[in-house]
Amino acid sequence: MTKKPTIQQKIDELNKMLEWFNGDDFVLEDALDKYKEMEKLAKDINSDLDSIKNEVNIIKKKFDN
Amino acid sequence: MENTLLTVSDFVCLINQTLDYAYPIVTIEGEVSSFKTNQNKYIFFDIKDDENSVGCFMMLWQLRMPIEDGMKVIIKGAPKLTKWGKFSLTVSSIKPVGEGSIKKSFDLLKEKLTKEGLFAVERKRQIPKIPSYIGLIASTQSAGYADFVKILDERWSGVLIDVAHVQVQGDDSPKQIINAIDYFNSQETLPEILVIIRGGGSKDDLSVFNDEPLVRKVASSRIPTVVGVGHEIDTSLADMAADVRASTPSNAAQLIVPDKISVKKSIDEKILLVRNNLSNNVLMKRSEISSKLDVAIVKIEKSVEEYSSNLAMLSGIISQLNPNNVLKRGYAIVRGKIEKGYNIKVELIDKIVTAKVGDVYDKKTDDTTKNR
Repeated sequence: MTKKPTIQQKIDELNKMLEWFNGDDFVLEDALDKYKEMEKLAKDINSDLDSIKNEVNIIKKKFDN
Repeated sequence: MENTLLTVSDFVCLINQTLDYAYPIVTIEGEVSSFKTNQNKYIFFDIKDDENSVGCFMMLWQLRMPIEDGMKVIIKGAPKLTKWGKFSLTVSSIKPVGEGSIKKSFDLLKEKLTKEGLFAVERKRQIPKIPSYIGLIASTQSAGYADFVKILDERWSGVLIDVAHVQVQGDDSPKQIINAIDYFNSQETLPEILVIIRGGGSKDDLSVFNDEPLVRKVASSRIPTVVGVGHEIDTSLADMAADVRASTPSNAAQLIVPDKISVKKSIDEKILLVRNNLSNNVLMKRSEISSKLDVAIVKIEKSVEEYSSNLAMLSGIISQLNPNNVLKRGYAIVRGKIEKGYNIKVELIDKIVTAKVGDVYDKKTDDTTKNR
């Protein structure tokens, strides 16, 4: 099973897509699809930031020895 | 006991047993004098007040911060009578007390570690922009820990935080923190950042973070470190050895993760920027196409104009060649054989005349005759 990408990975992906728009590989014909993809990713990130919580795990080990 | 005959060794042994039973460990505050190191292994000094002085012995490796004569210290040690009959304290811990001594010790260690390059900027590593796994060393009962977790929750989501609960003050604290650093550094999956925090406290409380082995451990961690100890005005040597120094536990959380509200805003701005760029791009393409069409139209129009002008010129020429136009200017077309006696037809612009040819002679001859 593929591991779910982290928020950071999604942001990196978004930045990569942004670079495509500003780079030499930009082709108008593909731009609308890429834009839609980017919009979906941004929505995903926003939703992750709203719904996912941090997980705090207290280690059981004692550190006095 | 007065009737019991003892050897000297028995007596020394008896005294030590009594001391060990009555005073296994004593804690004494006093001033250090005659501090010296022997063979780079042993330390000897006296601890004194205005009236009395006691000799002390300890191993060099037990010294956790620099000590020198005149410093006020608290020692923990076991009283012993040596085999030479000298009374001394075998010291297990020594720490400076009082602002002056703490500062002096701090300055000495700072100078030593600075010379070794432990605080050099070139050693500092960058921490990941947004970590997904953090190792946290703190007391889970402290306000600093609560502040850190609260700020982290407010600012970001999806982070796994493994917490090593340790004492952050007291004699055992440095050892526990060192053990926790070792623990995280020996894990199969390393956290992306190691955070060490402690809330505010007295100079003495915070002096834990000036412990030499602890400072060295922070500097040698494989995992990039963030240390946030005390309040903004406090600086510890552990702070200085860390890759990132945070002024407080809350500040540590702020430095580790971005604020989700500003990240969301930045993402929205990026999308808007792309949308605008895309619209501009389409507009530009349209305008490019339109200007190309304009050029084509101008070329066509010019070409049509050229043809029209040529046509007009040709029409003029053709019009000049029209015989009727010649007749209009008074000329006539003569048809028939131009020989004497023959009938000819003369066409004028509006009439046709028939005539008979009289004389026929060359124009030259006629001119010559006339000139005569």
